[in-house]
Amino acid sequence: MKKFWLNLSMNRKLALIAIVFGVIALFGGDPYGGTTIKINEKDIALSTVGNSDKVSVTELADWIIKDKSDFELIDLRSDEKFSEYTIPGSQSIPLPQITSSDLMRNQKIVLFSDDDVAASQAWFILKSKKYKGVYILDGGLNAWKEKVLFPKAPLNAGKDELAEFDKMKEVANYFGGQAQTDSSVAETKQQIKLPTPNLSTTKTVAPTGKKKKREGC
Amino acid sequence: MNAPFFKFDYFNSDVSLIIAFVIGIAFGIALEKGGFGRATILASQFYFTNMRVLKVMFTAIVTAMLGLYFLSVIGFVDLSLVYLTQTNLLPMAVGGFIAGLGFIIGGYCPGTSMVALATGKLDAMIFVGGMIFGILVFGEMFPGIEEFFNSGFMGTVTLPSYFNLSYGLVVFLVVLMAIGAFTAAEWGEKKMAAKTGKEVL
Repeated sequence: MKKFWLNLSMNRKLALIAIVFGVIALFGGDPYGGTTIKINEKDIALSTVGNSDKVSVTELADWIIKDKSDFELIDLRSDEKFSEYTIPGSQSIPLPQITSSDLMRNQKIVLFSDDDVAASQAWFILKSKKYKGVYILDGGLNAWKEKVLFPKAPLNAGKDELAEFDKMKEVANYFGGQAQTDSSVAETKQQIKLPTPNLSTTKTVAPTGKKKKREGC
Repeated sequence: MNAPFFKFDYFNSDVSLIIAFVIGIAFGIALEKGGFGRATILASQFYFTNMRVLKVMFTAIVTAMLGLYFLSVIGFVDLSLVYLTQTNLLPMAVGGFIAGLGFIIGGYCPGTSMVALATGKLDAMIFVGGMIFGILVFGEMFPGIEEFFNSGFMGTVTLPSYFNLSYGLVVFLVVLMAIGAFTAAEWGEKKMAAKTGKEVL
């Protein structure tokens, strides 16, 4: 056996090795299902402490106004809801499609849906697939409506709080919403018309659906 | 640790450019060492007098295929993150035909022309000039051929998914195909050498 091997030319040796690997491959199974990833539970648990994995709606509003483009804003709700209203600059990836999306592991990703639940689920899926910069929009779209689009005037406000509220009013106007100065109006919030998506999305230059990057030779 | 390293964010895009540069240099050296910087060797492929191109390319394909297949079966490579070109069948066949014509006439493919350019070959300089001009012409006439360019779109297809075969079987068949091609190539070279009276380069 050893003699047989030694007598072979280099080309034949390589050919033989290739055939052996080819035969093993016959029983090797599907390469696409095979990826195993270890989840570091401690890491994931720790990142939930101190809300380091969350972005507040006011922070997000600030980023959009400042035209920051170092993050991807992902709307996890259905396409219909997305076309009804969404946060300017976001792209629609419904939750079931999150694993087959084009998102890169080196991107900063901010997830949101109506509340925190779907975003948390997507957050865990992405974290377990080793996406690093994944964040949840704290309170989701509900918090966005409440705090950014239709902020309420603080009761018995001091000087500082009033100045703060003036800023919030401007932010609300920027996104096509309206600050609620009278607290009774807030009760009928459901009837308040949401800004039309056209109006709000045209205000930022952030692209809504980035074209897929072409790779390859 | 998992691969592809860039998609798993082991380095950023700045570092990826440096790595691409190093790999590119190594690739160029390999091509030059393989004799791919000479138009005569590349063109002789089409006259069946020297099958070096087929041998080198098929060796590269088989090596890469076996490596990728086994590394993903053991869970090291996430194959779903490896980019696959999408297929437009007829436009690609036409494009391949045109590229093949250029290959025979000029003696280079785009990659090898760069290698030959680096070693200062005059014909390669003209070839690269022509290539850039061709890109310009293509860009200018693109609106006219855009419909054809995008026709026959098949999405991302692979042999196993298209023929409904298992991946392992396709790997095995490609290995057999390569070894068959090598044997046929060596045999053909000997025949041609006997006919032309010249030794293979």
